[in-house]
Amino acid sequence: MTTSAATARSGDVLRRSADWARRAPLLPALIFTIVVTQLPFVVTLIVSFMDWNAYYPDERGFTGLTNYKRVLTDVNMRDAILTTVLLTVTVVLVSLFLGLVIALLLDRKFIGRGAVRTMMITPFLVVPVAAALLWKHALFNPEYGLLNGMITAVWRLFGSDHPPQPDWISTMPLVSVETALIWQWTPFMMLILLAGLQGRPLDVIEAARIDGAGSWQIFRYMTFPHLRQYLELGALLGSIYIVQNFDAVFTITSGGLGTANLPYTIYQTFYQAHDYGRASAAGVVVVIGTIIIATFALRTVSSLFREETSR
Amino acid sequence: MASVTYDKASRIYPGAERPAVDALDLDIADGEFLVLVGPSGCGKSTSLRMLAGLEEVNHGQIRIGDRDVTHLAPKDRDIAMVFQSYALYPHMTVAQNMGFALKIAGRSKEEITSRVAEAAKILDLQSHLDRKPKALSGGQRQRVAMGRAIVRSPQVFLMDEPLSNLDAKLRVQTRTQIAALQRRLGTTTVYVTHDQVEAMTMGDRVAVLKDGILAQCDTPLRLYQQPASVFVAGFIGSPGMNIAEFKLDGTDAVLGQARVHLASATLTALAEEGADRIVVGFRPESVDLVTENDPDAFPVTVAVVEELGSDAFLHGWHSDLPRGDGTGNGQIIARVDPNHTPAKGSRVYLRIQPGKGHFFSVTTAQRLPS
Ligand SMILES: Nc1ncnc2c1ncn2[C@@H]1O[C@H](COP(=O)(O)OP(=O)(O)OP(=O)(O)O)[C@@H](O)[C@H]1O
Ligand SMILES: [Mg+2]
Repeated sequence: MTTSAATARSGDVLRRSADWARRAPLLPALIFTIVVTQLPFVVTLIVSFMDWNAYYPDERGFTGLTNYKRVLTDVNMRDAILTTVLLTVTVVLVSLFLGLVIALLLDRKFIGRGAVRTMMITPFLVVPVAAALLWKHALFNPEYGLLNGMITAVWRLFGSDHPPQPDWISTMPLVSVETALIWQWTPFMMLILLAGLQGRPLDVIEAARIDGAGSWQIFRYMTFPHLRQYLELGALLGSIYIVQNFDAVFTITSGGLGTANLPYTIYQTFYQAHDYGRASAAGVVVVIGTIIIATFALRTVSSLFREETSR
Repeated sequence: MASVTYDKASRIYPGAERPAVDALDLDIADGEFLVLVGPSGCGKSTSLRMLAGLEEVNHGQIRIGDRDVTHLAPKDRDIAMVFQSYALYPHMTVAQNMGFALKIAGRSKEEITSRVAEAAKILDLQSHLDRKPKALSGGQRQRVAMGRAIVRSPQVFLMDEPLSNLDAKLRVQTRTQIAALQRRLGTTTVYVTHDQVEAMTMGDRVAVLKDGILAQCDTPLRLYQQPASVFVAGFIGSPGMNIAEFKLDGTDAVLGQARVHLASATLTALAEEGADRIVVGFRPESVDLVTENDPDAFPVTVAVVEELGSDAFLHGWHSDLPRGDGTGNGQIIARVDPNHTPAKGSRVYLRIQPGKGHFFSVTTAQRLPS
């Protein structure tokens, strides 16, 4: 009895040391990851509870929740939160809708489908800053932009020499930012929905056709419910990224004309107002918001996997 | 309800050299239960899907009743289909699954509910109406698939191997239930299976397909007693018929010491063909265990005896033929009395019962008159 217990214990010890021998080589990487990703967050968290403004170095010290109170009550910050929500919701919904339409079109067989699909994906592969610059200068610019150029061409076609030349960015700033983001995010949504469409069980569709359903009814009763989880997934993943968007706002409008979203406001608070405490608190608010959305995203992903395996 | 006619219907898949279904001619009477049977890849599913409208008909016609449905969409054919995979709608409850076709047809809520309840009662599904297919057993899913078909009271039921995902016992049980249900509803049914026992027990008539061509279509009994070709003879029956090539010797066909007497009609047909060989088939139950002195007895070495309780089957080989020889490898299966089975490895004498042989041409593999 005792001997067997003793051998069991020494076995445990052996196994534990073997486990550690296997893990040890991974430790440097783990420590590096923690230092690079977790420490800055911890520091941000600490700073968010401090009064720390570079212009008033004497007042530095802990202030509890004051920064959070200011983030949530400050008019600027509240506007930024509203803008963020509006921007995210619009971009996600419109790009989901466009992505769905394109995915449905690409789900049919036609010559050159592979080439068209690749071309449809390219906007997503463009570096975000480059895409924003492209929209700002090559498309929206009132003097030499493509949009106004096209308007001029169309007006000429009908013999008019005085085409309207709107200044897109200053007349509809938020819509301009949204357009650029929608252009970039539609391919992402399309890819997710196309994967969903191609995972549709064919026999179920055939059964529905035999049961008398036409194309619209098949979409309404079979395809759409099947795609629901993919739509949720696309919406949530898109939200995570667009909530944090900085490039488009910074490049196209520099946060002016009511387009400053939370990340941009944080940037301003940090680099222009040098109010590190308040910027950190706002950053933490963004992180919390993102974590909430991400939790839902993960839940959707895991329910998708459950479905796949139970089939 | 209606009859179904395949009129020289062919299906050639794009890129295939050979039609998957080749000029299929079938007349299925109103209310008949027709089984399509054949080995894997012979075109059973394709034939059924052509009738369903899921597969294009490249040549010929298909009619339901007097209606030419060859180019109609599935939804306009008034048929219901049970898939091998059941193809239940995963996000709908059992009741919604069964009522879907009626809902699409724009029937009232009350009518849908009552017809679904009626079907659920027939299929013993009442207590599962609110469940999703995921939460059902294989047998229950199968019944939901059946329910989805019968709720509609269509002109024709199509079933593609609906029992192949069930375990052996449930399959036998469900087989009888489906046959009984069909008799009760009197709906014309086309049923696909690769299991010849299923085909024989369920069908009013059985159509045997081979490589996309109809080999024979007849009642189960006539298929068994009068197979039209070597293929049908070998396919129908379990264990299979003994089939071997015999030499012609006067008015007899002989293989080693085995000897069968040929009728004059058979001999005339052979003479016309100019053949000196003939394919002879005999069922395991058409063989008697006899003594060495019997005039037509031939020696057989016993390899194994399969005892099934009610029956026993002797598997052996002709002792006087070289083993592994071309002619059916000299292998033979015979039904013997389960109470007096010969020992393994022993030598016994068998005799083919007179008049129980099936005779086929060596060149065409078709049945010869007898
Ligand atoms: N979509 C398709 N494209 C090309 N060829 C096909 C297609 N479907 C089936 N075939 C071919 O047509 C032939 C008949 O197929 P079918 O599915 O009708 O066979 P089956 O008799 O139902 O076989 P099983 O018992 O295995 O289900 C096969 O040779 C198969 O390879
Ligand atoms: Mg099949």
